[in-house]
Amino acid sequence: MSSVLSQIDSLGRSVTRNVNYTLRVFLLVYLSLRATILDHAQGFRQIVGVILAQIYFTGWQALPLVSVLALGTGSVLILQALSNLTLLGGTQMIGNFLIVMILREAGPLFVALIVIARSGTAVASELGNMRANREIEALESMGINPLSFIVFPRIIGGVVSILCLAFYFNFMAFIGGFFITRLIQDMSFAFYTDSLMSAFSKEDFYIFLLKNGFSGMIIFVVCCYQGLSVKKSPHEVPQVTTQAVVNSIIFVVIFNLIVTALFYLKQLQQLGVV
Amino acid sequence: MKIASLRFEEVSFSHEGQTPVISNVDFDFPTNEIIWVKAEEGAGKSSLLQILCGMQIPQSGKYLINGENVSDMSFEEFLPYRMQIGYSFDSGGLISNRTLFDNLMLPLLYHKVVSPQEAKLRVDEMLKIFDLTFFANERPASVPGRVRKLTVLLRSLVMHPQILLLDDPSVGLGKSSLYNFVDYMQGLRKQGHLNHIFITSYDDKFMDLMDHQILHLDGGQLYYQKVDPEKRVVHI
Repeated sequence: MSSVLSQIDSLGRSVTRNVNYTLRVFLLVYLSLRATILDHAQGFRQIVGVILAQIYFTGWQALPLVSVLALGTGSVLILQALSNLTLLGGTQMIGNFLIVMILREAGPLFVALIVIARSGTAVASELGNMRANREIEALESMGINPLSFIVFPRIIGGVVSILCLAFYFNFMAFIGGFFITRLIQDMSFAFYTDSLMSAFSKEDFYIFLLKNGFSGMIIFVVCCYQGLSVKKSPHEVPQVTTQAVVNSIIFVVIFNLIVTALFYLKQLQQLGVV
Repeated sequence: MKIASLRFEEVSFSHEGQTPVISNVDFDFPTNEIIWVKAEEGAGKSSLLQILCGMQIPQSGKYLINGENVSDMSFEEFLPYRMQIGYSFDSGGLISNRTLFDNLMLPLLYHKVVSPQEAKLRVDEMLKIFDLTFFANERPASVPGRVRKLTVLLRSLVMHPQILLLDDPSVGLGKSSLYNFVDYMQGLRKQGHLNHIFITSYDDKFMDLMDHQILHLDGGQLYYQKVDPEKRVVHI
């Protein structure tokens, strides 16, 4: 009996810890927004400069990797769709299949994983090193709020970057993937694009914005939070960076799952199933 | 804003899980003086300076500047006071992705206290006086430790604050840099800046370059010791 109780205690502690962590992460979003609004010294040019730098590192420099992944994903899915849907006699459904698989599910997840691996780690270790080198303290001592000077522009830059990257990923997966597939399998471009266009709905646009926008915010807030959690020593930096990656992936996957579940629940409601 | 008084009322502060740095302290800090903060190693001199700078918040009690409790203030509310406080770190503290010149320019440009031209003039003059012009466009990682330390010290002066807090300023500096720094500091004092200076140091020779009073931090309490400049031993 006591072992069951101790397990319940342990579960309770774990839940409390995770809820506490989640609240702190979201509090950072509020605090950085508040700091930016109240920071009258920080000029528009200063914020835009950091945002553009973040877009350059997170968005522009990730394009080659995103291109390869998008082409690979697009090609594999188009090939699979063509072969399996042809067997089932439903080639007309290729657009719906690809929109669901790429735009709604694989795109947001893959782009988020790329951004976490490339930029999330960079942001967490940069901020961690800044904390260890007392640069954050130095900013505070100069009357510069690190939340408005460092955190907020990175979140905005990250969200913009991830939205652009996701758009690029989808484009490359749909169009680039088709051209690669075209080398080994015959399919008309007009038929393919028609199928895609007719499958695309406004809900897909909302899902695109919701999943990618929030993923961008979650990744950069979590990574900034972890970076800033370094106490004093540089040996903590790799630890917080690893933790930033793990937590970002968990948050992004759970968020994507929730959005997908809610979307399909709504669809089922519309169909009268539930 | 003129800073006329600094006062602790029943202030206690401790780092997590450690013995209190200051414990229930009521203290009126001497003003318009150079104060040498003395204590045993690890007694909390740096923490005391950080409380005075507003970078650490006491767990209890009030820190009053001009009679106003600043320990409850938000970052933005405290900003006008912070702009009058210069703080120099004992180690680290330079922004690593900016050049030394940009590090010195940052507070001036960020807060727009002077025009960009005036800021450049001020920083260029500082760099010239301290013979740092050669390193001005280097980043902190590419310059010797002495230059880094000197830049951190100069950054605490660049805004011409009323309160100056120097944490172990003489460590890692050569004699000529120290003399230069003290001369520069005294020059700014004559111009009406750096009214209240607090320095932690183990370097008697450095402290003897200035007329100072002594503040002892012992067992979590602060004790003021007046020093008669006539009787002070001067090390050459």
